[in-house]
Amino acid sequence: MIEYIPRSHAYYAAQGYKPYQWAHFEDAPFTPPAKPLSESRLVLISTAAPFRDELGDQGPGAAYNAEAKFFAVFTADIDPVPDLRISHIGYDRKHCAADDPNTWLPVAALHQAAADGRIGQLAQKLIGVPTNRSQRVTLEQDAPAAVEACRSLQADVALLVPT
Amino acid sequence: MIARHLEASGIPTVIMGCARDIVEHVGAPRYFWSNFPLGHSAGKPFDADSQHATLRGALALFDDAAKGATTVASKQTWSDDPGWEADFWRLDNLDAGKLAQLKADHERVRQVSAGIKQDT
Repeated sequence: MIEYIPRSHAYYAAQGYKPYQWAHFEDAPFTPPAKPLSESRLVLISTAAPFRDELGDQGPGAAYNAEAKFFAVFTADIDPVPDLRISHIGYDRKHCAADDPNTWLPVAALHQAAADGRIGQLAQKLIGVPTNRSQRVTLEQDAPAAVEACRSLQADVALLVPT
Repeated sequence: MIARHLEASGIPTVIMGCARDIVEHVGAPRYFWSNFPLGHSAGKPFDADSQHATLRGALALFDDAAKGATTVASKQTWSDDPGWEADFWRLDNLDAGKLAQLKADHERVRQVSAGIKQDT
C-alpha cells in the first residue's frame, strides 16, 4: 500500500515546497440510510471535468492539464454518459492510461445496479465537484453547493468517486 | 470533506478510491478502497467484472457500515507484480534538472489555476 501523504511531502520537498497540510479529523460524521438501498435514489458525485475542446489535450494519456480545471460545483445529465475527463488531476500517469472512463465514472455499472434492483434508482444528473486545494473554499462554497444539488435531485444517498 | 459535509447534512455517503491514507486522514464516513494506481477508483480498465465488483463492494457499505470512519478494502489486486507502487511520485530517478523542470511545471499550473479562478 502506498503511503501517499509522506510520499507527497518528500516529492514536493525535493522541489523546494513546504508540505501540504491535508485536512485531518479524528472522527467522521455518520447518517444511517433512512430506507433500503433498493428503495433509494443514488446520486453520483465525481471530480472529473467536462471535456472542452478549446482547453487542449485532455486525454486519454494527456499530461497534467491545469487549463481543464474547474472551480464550481456543476450538474450534468447522466444519460447519455457525459464526457468527463481527468487530465486536470494528478493521477498515476504511468499505470493509468485514462482510456476507459468507467474507471473514474461508474455510470454503466450504476445503471446495471439499478436494473438489477440493487439501488432504487439513479438520479438523472450527476454532480461534479472541484478538486480545490483551498480547504476553506471547499467547506464554505463547494460542500454546501453539493448538498444543495443533492437535495434538488432528491437524492437519498451519494456515491463519491474522486480521482 | 465533501462527504463529511453531506453526511452531517443527513445524506449517507460512500467514497470509492485508491489513496487510502489520505481519505482516512480526512475522516471519511464510509470508504471502499481499491489498492490500484490512482485513476482507477471505480475498477480496472476495460474490465466490466472488476468495475461491477468494485461498485458492489462500495454499495454494500450503505447496508453494512455501523459507524463513521468505516473502511472496507477490495479483495481485487492490481497485478501480481507490486512494482507499480514504487513508481508514483518516485524521486530516485530524478536528477536536479528534472526536479527543476517539475517545479517549473508546478509553478505554471499554479499560475494557470489562479488565472482561471480570476475569470470565474
